[in-house]
Amino acid sequence: MALSTLTWVSMLVSLLLLPGVAAAVLVRSLRTEERKLALLREQGDVDSYSPRALSDLREWIRANPDDPYAPIARRRYNECVRSLRGIDKPHYDWSDEQIARLELVDE
Amino acid sequence: MNFSLTTPTIVAHPYNYLLFKGLGRIIMSDSEARTAREEWGSRFGFLMAMLGAMVGAGNIWRMPFTTGENGGGAFLVAYILLLYLIAVPGLMAETMIGRYTNNGVIGAFKQVLGSKRAQGLGLVVLIVNVALMSYYAPIIGWALYYAGHSVLMTFTQPGFQPQAFWDGFINNPALVVGMHTVTMAGLAGVLVFGIRRGIERVVKWMIPLLVVALVAVSIRGVTLPGGMEGVAFVFTPDWGYLTRGSTWVAALSQALFSTGLGWGIALTYGSYLSRYDDVPLGGGLFTAIGNTSIGLLAVFATFPVVFAFGLEPSAGSNLLFISMAQVFPELPGGSLWAIVFFVSFFFATFTSGLGITEVAVTTVSEETRLSRTGAVLASCGAIWVLGLPSAYSSAFLGRMDFMFGSFGLPLATLSIIALVAWKFGPERARVLDLNRNAGIYVGSWWNPVVKYVIPVVMMFILGYGVYSSIGTANQRLMLLGVAFMGALVVVSTVVMSVVGDEPPSGSAAVPGGDD
Repeated sequence: MALSTLTWVSMLVSLLLLPGVAAAVLVRSLRTEERKLALLREQGDVDSYSPRALSDLREWIRANPDDPYAPIARRRYNECVRSLRGIDKPHYDWSDEQIARLELVDE
Repeated sequence: MNFSLTTPTIVAHPYNYLLFKGLGRIIMSDSEARTAREEWGSRFGFLMAMLGAMVGAGNIWRMPFTTGENGGGAFLVAYILLLYLIAVPGLMAETMIGRYTNNGVIGAFKQVLGSKRAQGLGLVVLIVNVALMSYYAPIIGWALYYAGHSVLMTFTQPGFQPQAFWDGFINNPALVVGMHTVTMAGLAGVLVFGIRRGIERVVKWMIPLLVVALVAVSIRGVTLPGGMEGVAFVFTPDWGYLTRGSTWVAALSQALFSTGLGWGIALTYGSYLSRYDDVPLGGGLFTAIGNTSIGLLAVFATFPVVFAFGLEPSAGSNLLFISMAQVFPELPGGSLWAIVFFVSFFFATFTSGLGITEVAVTTVSEETRLSRTGAVLASCGAIWVLGLPSAYSSAFLGRMDFMFGSFGLPLATLSIIALVAWKFGPERARVLDLNRNAGIYVGSWWNPVVKYVIPVVMMFILGYGVYSSIGTANQRLMLLGVAFMGALVVVSTVVMSVVGDEPPSGSAAVPGGDD
């Protein structure tokens, strides 16, 4: 039985959006782990937040200084800043200028 | 109750040598060597465990027919949309709260909610999970029985009668209870070795083999004369279905329940992640999409065969155990294909059994004085006993599935999502933990999805389940299910008020497992 063009398109798009994406995510996830492990072996430490994620965390700390979770947030923020200052190769896409502009927050 | 007094183990996660470096600054405050909760041995192991836990019988016997019955490609459009919109963010939330708290279901609720009564919601999740496993274990037993007979080449023997074979099995209490017993013993035999040496060691080869087997059967199926008719049935879109409410309800149910959201599995497996592990990419995106991808492979593995041999596509579990069994004698190399098909089906169900049972094992080992071995024996023993009626009677199994699948699972999902979205808070969860060491950045779009969309959808599904049962043969069972779930919440709350641990005093926020 010959499939219609619409059926072919429907099938191929499904294959692309499901097994295609799943395979791509699997490969990316495993490669990310490999890279992180290599950095950890090399430097003994790795940055834990991306620039956008750390910026979000900083904004949240500023907006919620008295939140019950603020001490944990400040600790995690400072831990990432210290890591970035102590390592040569960040895991995330940090530039030297971005790292230089980072400041610790009062814990 | 107390936290586990089990002997702590020195974990061997690849990241753990860092315990003596960066992280060690925080946790090695005394002279003792770092001992910790067990962790996954590798990223691949965690991903396969998540996938294995979420891929189960429903993916193989439900998704193909649900797709074909609801407009084929049109259903897939609705389904994929809802999968990305709801299931992926929901699984991110559940995995994240597990990693943050480093606890099982009751421990996570205890840590975040802080009150003894509120821990009752954790108990609700645990009880629903155990109830689900009590009737899923006999199904694994069925799969094991068929896998065993495929190896014995029973299905290609001259004069083999699939219906008579099935009837002879399911109507033999000693046999079905025996298979249920063997299943629980097998699960216990793996779980007793723990996360890394037990679950991870098994899923790392079972899941890849499952995928390879499904691909092989799919290729065989679509190359059969008439096989492409099955493909056409599933994938030809009938856009009119997108205007029907029933299509969207079916897509919602499939997107939420087949991905394993709210079972407590993602929370439990997530609790064994290390601080350096990613949550959103693996725990959310890969788990949901990978699970559905295997469902799609099942479509290719079953429907071409169904159409090539003129079988009834809506046969559900009978599709596998009766319809498919009658196909193999007629296929060239049928014995081999039967082994590939039934053994892979057993792998799919067994790895789900591992994930579901681990929820109970982790919680019992944390909340009692039992060792890991004791917790495995207690959990598997309880599930075995509770599963005996379902093993003995398929009708009882069906009633359990209706009650706990329709009402228990949405209740458990609501409990977990409420914990993250309404108590912990989505923005706090996102900035503090979800994006920490993440493989992808999760933006603020995630907040309203977990806080409003998922709870509303769950309430809708609960309400729809009630509404659609009114005036049907299931009405009495529906009323019983709703009453049971209401009573479960009340009793669990009272029980935890009495036996639950006092929350830590002082700060309202309890640090996460790594803090």
